Amino acid sequence: MPDDAATGVVSGDAAEGALAYLAEMSLDLRGAAILDADGAVLAASSDSGRWREDAAALFEVADRAGGEPVEQVHIGTEQGEVFALRHAGLAAVVVTERFALASLTFFDMRAVLRDLAAGADGRAGEARPDAS
Amino acid sequence: MPPKPHRVLLDRVSGYADEAAAYMRRRRASRRPFARLYYKGGRAEDHADDSAVGGELFVAAGRLIEVAGKKPKQ
Repeated sequence: MPDDAATGVVSGDAAEGALAYLAEMSLDLRGAAILDADGAVLAASSDSGRWREDAAALFEVADRAGGEPVEQVHIGTEQGEVFALRHAGLAAVVVTERFALASLTFFDMRAVLRDLAAGADGRAGEARPDAS
Repeated sequence: MPPKPHRVLLDRVSGYADEAAAYMRRRRASRRPFARLYYKGGRAEDHADDSAVGGELFVAAGRLIEVAGKKPKQ
């Protein structure tokens, strides 16, 4: 499901930490999940099975729509916004309140995945530029 | 008599706040549901909610929003 970049093994603990960091960084975040190269959930804010299934469905439709693997997905609805990102062999899916800042959300997601893929704890995004 | 300095400052701040509030109102009113996909090389695609693919994307997004639930209380 995620992109085809080579990655090492990411521990569930590191992914949980990264998810907590993501939640801490984004005040608009409602829920999120981090998935590995096989689409298995490494960490999720709620029901892992549902996140796996629903994230796979989203990526499947997005891949089919473009005829190639999608890199980023941003869907805005009346009920909330969905962000999905593949990076460094991992994937992150985030649900936020409406009107979340897309560029910052993707920035944080990318930083977290890059850090996790490098074998760190996913908190590299602490170097994030100030939103103000 | 010139207005007191703090009055000038307050008026300016409330003017900016009014403008910002109006901007947010316009943004909310004008923003329709959207689905935007980005591929390697910077290619991007928009899908309307009444298109076949758009419909599927909104269904998938709706399921994710459902599983995420409400924002946790701070």
